[in-house]
Amino acid sequence: MELTANEKRLLAELGNLGSAEASVLADALSTDAAAVVQWAHLAAGRGLVQVSREVQEEYRLTEEGEAYARDGLPERQVVGSIDGEIPMGELSRHPLAKVAIGWMRKNNWITIDRGIAKKADSTPESPEELALKKIAAGVADPGECGELKSRGLVTVHEEVRWIIEITPDGKKLLEAGIDLRPEVGTLTREQIISGSWRDEALRRYSLATPPRRIYPGKPHPYRQILDEVRTLLLEMGFSEFSGNIVQSVFWNFDALFQPQDHPAREMQDTFYLDLTSPLPDGWEKIRDMHEHGGETSSTGWGGSWDRRKAEGSVLRTHSTALSIQYLAAHPEPPVKGFSLSRVYRRESIDPTHLAEFEQLEGIVMDEYVTFSHLLGFLKEFYHRMGFPDVRFRPAYFPYTEPSVEPEVWVDGLGWVELGGAGIFREEVTSPFGISHPVLAWGLGISRVAMLRLGLKDLRQLYKSDIDWIRNTPSYRRI
Amino acid sequence: MAIITLNYEYLERLTKTDKDTILKALPMIGSDIERLEEDHADLEFFPDRTDLYSVEGVARAMRGFLGIETGLPEYPVLESEIRFSVDPALAGIRPILGSAVIRNLRFDDASIESVMALQEALHWAIGRGRSKVAIGLHDLSAITPPFHYIASPRDRQFVPLDYTEPMTMDQILADHPKGRAYAGIVEHFDRFPLIVDANDQVLSFPPIINGELTRVTSDTTDILLDVTGTDERAVQNTVAIICSAFAEAGGTIQSVIIDGQKTPSLAPVERIIDCDECARLLGLPLTPESIIPLLEKMRFGAEPLEGSNVLVRVPCFRADIMHDWDIFEDVAIAYGFDRFPATLPPTFTIGTEDPASRLARIVSGIAIGLGYTEVMPFTLTNERVSYQLMQRPRSDAALTVLHPISIENTMVRTDLLPMLLEILQLNTHRELPQRIFAVGDVNDGAITYQKVAGAAIHPSADFSEIYATVDAILRELGVETLTIAESDDPAFLSGRQGAIMNGSEKTGCFGELHPDVIVGFDLEHPVIGFEIDLRPFL
Repeated sequence: MELTANEKRLLAELGNLGSAEASVLADALSTDAAAVVQWAHLAAGRGLVQVSREVQEEYRLTEEGEAYARDGLPERQVVGSIDGEIPMGELSRHPLAKVAIGWMRKNNWITIDRGIAKKADSTPESPEELALKKIAAGVADPGECGELKSRGLVTVHEEVRWIIEITPDGKKLLEAGIDLRPEVGTLTREQIISGSWRDEALRRYSLATPPRRIYPGKPHPYRQILDEVRTLLLEMGFSEFSGNIVQSVFWNFDALFQPQDHPAREMQDTFYLDLTSPLPDGWEKIRDMHEHGGETSSTGWGGSWDRRKAEGSVLRTHSTALSIQYLAAHPEPPVKGFSLSRVYRRESIDPTHLAEFEQLEGIVMDEYVTFSHLLGFLKEFYHRMGFPDVRFRPAYFPYTEPSVEPEVWVDGLGWVELGGAGIFREEVTSPFGISHPVLAWGLGISRVAMLRLGLKDLRQLYKSDIDWIRNTPSYRRI
Repeated sequence: MAIITLNYEYLERLTKTDKDTILKALPMIGSDIERLEEDHADLEFFPDRTDLYSVEGVARAMRGFLGIETGLPEYPVLESEIRFSVDPALAGIRPILGSAVIRNLRFDDASIESVMALQEALHWAIGRGRSKVAIGLHDLSAITPPFHYIASPRDRQFVPLDYTEPMTMDQILADHPKGRAYAGIVEHFDRFPLIVDANDQVLSFPPIINGELTRVTSDTTDILLDVTGTDERAVQNTVAIICSAFAEAGGTIQSVIIDGQKTPSLAPVERIIDCDECARLLGLPLTPESIIPLLEKMRFGAEPLEGSNVLVRVPCFRADIMHDWDIFEDVAIAYGFDRFPATLPPTFTIGTEDPASRLARIVSGIAIGLGYTEVMPFTLTNERVSYQLMQRPRSDAALTVLHPISIENTMVRTDLLPMLLEILQLNTHRELPQRIFAVGDVNDGAITYQKVAGAAIHPSADFSEIYATVDAILRELGVETLTIAESDDPAFLSGRQGAIMNGSEKTGCFGELHPDVIVGFDLEHPVIGFEIDLRPFL
C-alpha cells in the first residue's frame, strides 16, 4: 500500500490524537480543513481512518430580527400603542401597521368591528415572541422557528464538522513504521542532472484521480464534415470554385431558365437587395431562350422576358448560380467542378429551417456523359460519404431534365431524401455555347451534418455551444 | 408542390385496378405519398405535372404506366353553336379567354371534389394565385348563350356565390372573403372583368368570384367553362387539362366559338425525336422498337419514322413538354430508374482546390495550433451587432436586404469579430478560458471575400497575449510586407490596440476590447480579439 506523504502525515498526527476534528488536525498539519478532509477520505479508502460528518444547525437572527428582539415584534409595538379602541384609518398610519394588523388579529390581541379596532383585555406572549426570545438567548428550538423563518427574521446556518478517527489497521501500519520524508513532485533540473532524485521519496500519482480536463483548439465539427466532402471531391478529380454571395437575378434565376413568374423568385422566398446588376454580354440569348426556346427544340416559356427583372440582385438562393457561371467561363469539355457554399432562403428560422445553409454542388461536363453516369457519380459520392445504400427516384427541378432525387438508407429513419440531381436543360447550357451534357447534383450538406452529428437543431452548427464543440470527438469512422 | 387527394373508390373505378397496385407505382413516376387514410390518400405531385392534379389525371397516367391502357388518349371536341365575345376594352386588364362546354356529366361527391380540387390546384400552379389564370365552372342550364366577356363599370351589381343579396363589384372586393383575398389583382383598374349571358345575367367576376346563379351542384349535367387570364399559353393549357379531366370522368366536350374562333383544341402536339439522341443522353441501348412501348406507357402516341427518328404525339394536357429532353425523361421513368446501370464515365480530370479555401485551411491550422477553437457563425447579421455594440460607425460595405425575415438578419456581415463576441455571449456559463476563431466570407458591398478573426475571454486576457498571437499568425503566413501601426478603433481600448497595415492600407486590427463593448455583449471578463483581411495573402 503506497500512501501519499499527506496521508502519512495525517496518520502520524492521529497516532497521537486517536480522533480529532478536521480543523484541529489542519492547525497541527499547517493546512486547511478541506485538505485534511480530502487526505482523510483517501486514507479512509484504504481502511486506515474513519471519517464522519456531523451537521449542526444554528439559528441566527437577521438584521431585522435583531431589531425586533430588542424592540419587540411589530405586533407588540403596535398593540402597545393602542389605548382601548382606535379607528382602523388611524391605526393604519402606524409605520408597522401593515405587518402588525394580521398578527395582532391572529394572536387575538385586537378585534375589528365596523372599522374600529378594539384591544383585548390581555395580550399574552405569542409563540413567535417566545421563539424570538429563545433564539436571542441562544437556545433555539427548531420546531418553533418556522414562522420567524418565513417572516425573514431568522436564517438557518448549517455547520459541518468532520471527525477523523484512526482505525486499528491504521494503528498497526503506524506501528510498523512509515517513511515521513517529504515527497518530491515535479523534478527539478538540479535533481535530474546531479542524480539526487535517486535519494528522494518520489510521489506516486494515483490514476484513480481523474486528470484535469483540458481542451485543445480544434476545427468545428461541421468543418470536419465539410472538409471531408471537399477532400472526397478533390480525390475524384473535381476542381473547386466559389463566388459572391450577392448575385444578379440573371445568374441566380434567368440563366437557369427559371421562368420570370416562378414562385421561388418572389419576395417571400428570396432576399432581394436594392442594387442593380449589369447583364453580361450575350444576355439576348437568354431572353430568346425564355421567349421561344432560342435555337433549340424548346418552346421556351412564351410571353416577353423583362430585362429589368433580370438586373435585380439577390443573396444567392442556390449554388447553381455559381455553377452556371463556372460553365460559362469553361465551355470546353471536360469540366468537373464543385462548390461548397452558403446559400440564402427567406425562411422563418426554426430547428430544421435556416435562412442560410451550406450547399454542395458538383457538375460534370464532357462528350458522351449520360444519365447513367450521373447515377454512377451519385452512387460513388454517397458511398464515400458513408451511405452504402442509395436509390433513385424521379424528381422535378426547373433547370434539369431528366431530374433525379437520390435517397439513402439511414438506420432508424429509413430512406432519406438527400439532395437533387439531373442533367442541365439544353435551355440552360446552349446560350453559353456548351454543346455537351452537364451532369449536376446538389446537396444540402447541413442535413448530412445533422444525420452524422445526431443534431436536433440546425442552429447548433452556427450558434454553437462551446461545450458541444469541446465534447464532440474530432475523429469518427466513415 | 401540390397535394392532391385521391379517393380510393373513385381512383380504382377510373384506373380499373386495385389501390395497392396504384400506390406502389405512384412513387415510381415521382410522386410522394404524404398520408394514407381509410378511404383516401394524399399525394404530392411535381409543379410541372399539372395534368396529375386530379383523380382523373392520375388514373389516366396509371392506366398507362401499369399497362392497362397505353398510348395517346384522344378527346374529340363536338361542334356547338355557342358563342362568346371578348370586349376589346379588356386589353390592358385581363384580355385572354378560353372556353368549352362539357355535357352529359353525372356528378357524384368524389368527382365534384376532384374537379374542385383540380381547379384550386391549377389556380396556384399555373394561375400564380389567379393572377395569370382563373377558372370558372357554370351550370349551363341556368344561362342563355351567347355569352359576353366585358370590361364592366365597378358599380355593377350581382349576387356572388354563397350570398343571397346583390353586391356591387367594389363591395365584393371589400366584403366578400374571396374578394378580399384576390382584390390585389384587379383593384387598380377602372373597369372590372365580367362575364354575362344573352340576358345580361352575371356568370362571373373573374378572377374573383362566380355568380350564385350558375352554382354547380350534383344535379348539374352540362357545364360552361371559362378560363380568363393574361397569358395565352397558360389559359389554353388550363382549358386542356380541365376538359381532358372531364372527358376522363365521362363528359362530352363541345366547342365554343370565341369571336369567330372555334375553341378549344384538344389535339396532340407533334414532335419528331431522335431515338439515338435519347439513347446517348440516358446511356441506354434504345431502338425505335424499344422506345415506342416506353413512350406509349407514358401516354404519348408514337410511330417510327425514317432511321432513328420517332414521331411523338404529345397529349394536349402535357403542358410540361417544352423540349425533346422532357420526353427523354419520360422514357427514363418508363424504363425505371431502378433498372439503370450506374456507371462512372472515363472522363479524366485533375482536381484543384480553390486558392481561397486553401488559404482558409492553412489559417485555420495556425489558429488551432495557437489553442483557438473554430466556430462557424451565420453570415446574416444586423447593424446593432456589427456596429452599434462595437462602438463603430456603420460601414459603407454593409448591404441591407430589402425584406428581412427578422431584425436579427438584415445584412450580410462585413466583419467577423462581432459574430465571435456574439458566440462568447451565448457561452458565458461555459468554462474559461475560451478562445474561438472563424475564417469565412464577408461582404464589401456586393463583393465577397474572406477574413479571419479570433477572440479570447479569460481573467488574465491582455494586450500582450493578443499581440503575441497576431504576431505568430503573421509570421506563419510569411508575408513580410505587413507592418503594425497605431490605431484608434473605438471597439478596442485606447493604447491597447494595433492596426495591421499593408502599405498605407489598414488590413487588420487587434487589441483589448473596450469594456463598454464587453458589457454590451453581456460579458464580464477581459476580452481580446483580432481580425485580418485575407486578400493580401492570396
